[in-house]
Amino acid sequence: MRFQDAAKDARAVVYAGIQADPLVARAAVLLADATPAQRVLARAVMNGETTDAEAWRTIFPSLFGSTVDRAQPDPSEAILEVSLAVAGRGEQVRSQVRGAIVEAVAELLLARRAPAAMIRRERRILFDGVPTEIHPYDVTVEVPGAAEAYDCKWGARGISADVLHQLDDARTHAAGEGERLLPVLVVFDARRSCEVRLARQTAPRTGTRLLTIETLDRLAGPRSKTPS
Amino acid sequence: MREVPELVELVVVALGRLGALGETIEEEWTYVQDLQTVWTARLRAVATADRPAGTHPPMVELEAAIDRLVAEVDLISDPHRAIDWLSTLPQVTLVALGEAAW
Repeated sequence: MRFQDAAKDARAVVYAGIQADPLVARAAVLLADATPAQRVLARAVMNGETTDAEAWRTIFPSLFGSTVDRAQPDPSEAILEVSLAVAGRGEQVRSQVRGAIVEAVAELLLARRAPAAMIRRERRILFDGVPTEIHPYDVTVEVPGAAEAYDCKWGARGISADVLHQLDDARTHAAGEGERLLPVLVVFDARRSCEVRLARQTAPRTGTRLLTIETLDRLAGPRSKTPS
Repeated sequence: MREVPELVELVVVALGRLGALGETIEEEWTYVQDLQTVWTARLRAVATADRPAGTHPPMVELEAAIDRLVAEVDLISDPHRAIDWLSTLPQVTLVALGEAAW
């Protein structure tokens, strides 16, 4: 089993530009430390229609209401601001930005338990005698003997048979070479919605770990804060 | 002043409108129906559960939140976004109610 940078084709070059957008990095830093409710705020605003901040403050009284003891600076306000900036992009761009943010959050959380040098983005995994998968993995943790491969999705609807097969195939091929590879699906959506999506999939999933918006902090390891 | 079950029912009706829009994506018809079913059940269970005082924001703020949330949902005209909001709307509602969003 070997890891390799993905080919720099046109798609990769364009997407690299999205990933390097300072807005992505800023959102990821905020969301890596966010509470579950703040992550739901980001999810709603980044995919919302309204760009009026006051409307969103009204919708989230448990974050902005009169009884909330708000820290200064208030991370909920910062998340609202960055989410509105994402929403302000054109429809196609914001879709790509959202995906890049989920990947960047995963990378940041993983870096809390794994050496940064072993965490890589946009990597292929090669196995002897097996054709290379078309799509690279969003994030990999390339620890010898305990590698991990991550596919990151904005929403449950992004879960497809192709995704599940690719993750499970990687695990199976690794085992065939006597290696251990943990495939993980990270979805910035509620587990309940992911389970609905998965319920009608026949692709193998038992060997793939699922982390969702309420369990993202598990990326950082068992000593990380647990969602309330 | 309205009570929590009445507010949650507004959300359930809005969920139905999102579903009607989302199911125009033919290949997602089953997913849309399933999402509506499970989230409606979750919301109604929360609506009728005993709630200790102080577990959700003041009712006046909760009413404003749900009314504004439903208005936001009614702005959606894209069926793909509607499908995404079939999951987002219940989560936002549960957060507004002071519940875990799942």
